[in-house]
Amino acid sequence: MKTSRWRDWAQWFWAFAGSVSIRTKIFGIVLGSTLLLSVAFTLQFRAVQIRLLEQKAREQGVSVARDVAARATDLILINDLYALHQLLLETQSNYQDIRYIFVIDPQGEVLAHTFGDEFPIELLDANWAAGDDFQNTRVLQTNEGMVWDVAVPIFDGRAGVARVGVSDTSLRQTITNLTTQLSVTIVAVLTASLLAATFLTWLLTRPILALVSATEAVSKGDFSQRVPRWADDEIGDLAEAFNQMTAELARADELQREREQLRRQLLEGVIAAQEDERRRIARELHDSTSQSLTSLMVSLRNIEAVCEKPQLLEQVTNMRQVLSQTLDEVHNLAVQLRPAALDDLGLEAALGRFVQEWQRQHRIQADLTVHIGENRLPEIIETAIYRIVQEALTNVARHAQATSASVLVHHRQRDVVTVIEDDGIGFDPGTVSANGHLGLLGIRERAELLQGRMTIESAPGKGTSVFVSIPLLTPEENGEIT
Amino acid sequence: MVKKTRWIAYFSVLLLGGMALSGCVSPLPAYGAPYINLDNRAPLPQAKSGEIKPLKVAIAAVISPQGLAESYAPLLEYLESALGRPVEVVQRRTYSEINDLLVAGEVDVAFVCTSSYLAGRQFGLQLLAAPQVDGKVTYRAKVIVSAGSLVQSMEDLRGKVFAFTDPISFTGRVYPTYLLQQMGERPETFFARTFFTYSHDDAIYAVAHGVADGASVDALVLDFALKRDPELASRIRVIHTSEPFGMPPVVVGPHISPHLKVELQEIMLSMHLDPAGQRALDVLDYDRFVMVQDQDYRTAEVVASAVESILDVKQ
Repeated sequence: MKTSRWRDWAQWFWAFAGSVSIRTKIFGIVLGSTLLLSVAFTLQFRAVQIRLLEQKAREQGVSVARDVAARATDLILINDLYALHQLLLETQSNYQDIRYIFVIDPQGEVLAHTFGDEFPIELLDANWAAGDDFQNTRVLQTNEGMVWDVAVPIFDGRAGVARVGVSDTSLRQTITNLTTQLSVTIVAVLTASLLAATFLTWLLTRPILALVSATEAVSKGDFSQRVPRWADDEIGDLAEAFNQMTAELARADELQREREQLRRQLLEGVIAAQEDERRRIARELHDSTSQSLTSLMVSLRNIEAVCEKPQLLEQVTNMRQVLSQTLDEVHNLAVQLRPAALDDLGLEAALGRFVQEWQRQHRIQADLTVHIGENRLPEIIETAIYRIVQEALTNVARHAQATSASVLVHHRQRDVVTVIEDDGIGFDPGTVSANGHLGLLGIRERAELLQGRMTIESAPGKGTSVFVSIPLLTPEENGEIT
Repeated sequence: MVKKTRWIAYFSVLLLGGMALSGCVSPLPAYGAPYINLDNRAPLPQAKSGEIKPLKVAIAAVISPQGLAESYAPLLEYLESALGRPVEVVQRRTYSEINDLLVAGEVDVAFVCTSSYLAGRQFGLQLLAAPQVDGKVTYRAKVIVSAGSLVQSMEDLRGKVFAFTDPISFTGRVYPTYLLQQMGERPETFFARTFFTYSHDDAIYAVAHGVADGASVDALVLDFALKRDPELASRIRVIHTSEPFGMPPVVVGPHISPHLKVELQEIMLSMHLDPAGQRALDVLDYDRFVMVQDQDYRTAEVVASAVESILDVKQ
């Protein structure tokens, strides 16, 4: 039970101490310890003072009572009650704290007292001293505060008992004054420690806040941030370590950038070389192979016209048909490798032909919408978009089991958006990593080479949309990249 | 908002601390102490008038009231038990006060000075008995000076300070005045200053401490003081011893019943035969009490008459 309660307390304290800011913690430490120290000191000091003053009051009571008893002896014996009365009054007037003095004879009658006309009768039996007592002190609670009542036997009790009451009024006054002074001191000390805490907090949190803001900047990719080393302490070490770290990060980032640049250049080179090679092969196929096959065709047609042997004619006709088929295949191959329309007529025409051919080939309904205006896009972008559409539609044909597809190419203010949609089976982009899919990887690769971005929206049974946005860069910006 | 609450929390902690420390908390809680209202006052109850009337015995202040009370206590206790009646002691500063009490009937019996008897005779004081010390019923006066002083005789005390014991003390005032009178001097012109100590032992100490240059005291008291405080012997010196005079008597007032007088006389005169009575006498250094007659005080009366005009002792 007890331990669990302690644990609860500890947890509560931990949660509280953890939830407040460093500023509050420092304030708590400084003010808390100052207050604790001051209060503890004050209470201790006060207790000691009270003890000392109480002892002093008791001792004063005893010494006054002994003195009165000694001086009263003869006066009582010779029955000089007036002198006795004067003695009591004089003694009382000499001591500020003496509330009363009176003398009782052995029969219990009051011989003299300092109360004036009447006497508080209750007081008579409140204390007594036997003949062989040195003194007998009792604490009395009165309507005027506490009183130490000291009884001292006079002439071994044969002449009676002297009673002296020491009031605690001046003691209380002293304690109150002392406490007030100490309280004022505490408030002053607290104010001073408040200022000290403020300064300390500022001193401590300033480098930490600088570190926090620098860390935030670093997390956003700004490695140029450096924090000043304010002081030669642990936080200063931290700042130094942080600066080293950001410097390392900046170097690593630089290296990464250079590597990326290199890779991109390489990739661009590869792609450009590939395109060039395709273009060359396509042209070769078109210019040389197709021309040769066409002239063969013409020759066969001539032979057909002059041939009279039906057996030969039939073979020639077959050859011509095979040749015509080969010619078509060569043509298709050339177009697939590098449509001449892309170079000659532009993206829209090239895409139109490709989509038409794709529909025919795969028997899937497809729309094409192109809004790119009058001017042609840079060749590199046209090629990329063409290849992206080509790749995406190949994917649709291979995996989507779609009945229709649509292609949209839209030239906006500063970029070109390409959207390829299908109504196929779709997939979960979360499970199928875009990087793990070669076709999508190629699309992303091409887009990112041109500072573009690819996003995929798809879900099982909901079809697939591939969005590719490629920025249109100014020549300067373009130059930066290449 | 949160910050504000925090500050409020800080200040309430401060405030609480201050309040706990302030004087509003009583510094000394007196647990279980009886409560007394000092303003709840009433006239003091009057002294109970006892049904049994005590025998009132006065003792003249030959020595200090305390010493007197101590030395006479066993004797009075003995009287009390022998009489079967409470005895109340009455002490006064001066001899004449006691004479007044005797005359007024406030006191039944009194141990008085020789000159008190001489002065009180005319008002009806009667001799009851007198102590016998060292086999004698007489005593002497001794004039003492400081041990270191050069004073050798009464004459050498001229222009000095002299301590009298009581205004009507025989050895303390009447006798030294008589000595001066014999020299043709008066105290007020012979001495630079005189004062009263109202007891013989105070007069001895006044000389021992140099407060007075000389004093005349009861030889019995001086012997008693020297016995009690031997160191005193080195501080005082006796320059004159008087002839013997009648021992200070025990007297009764004019109003006492003859029956009581006789009863008292019998007790006192035979108390040395009772061990308890002897013990009481031992404390006072008395051998016993003996009968005395008025003629035993004749020599003293001569001295007293000689200085009567100077002292006006007989009032």
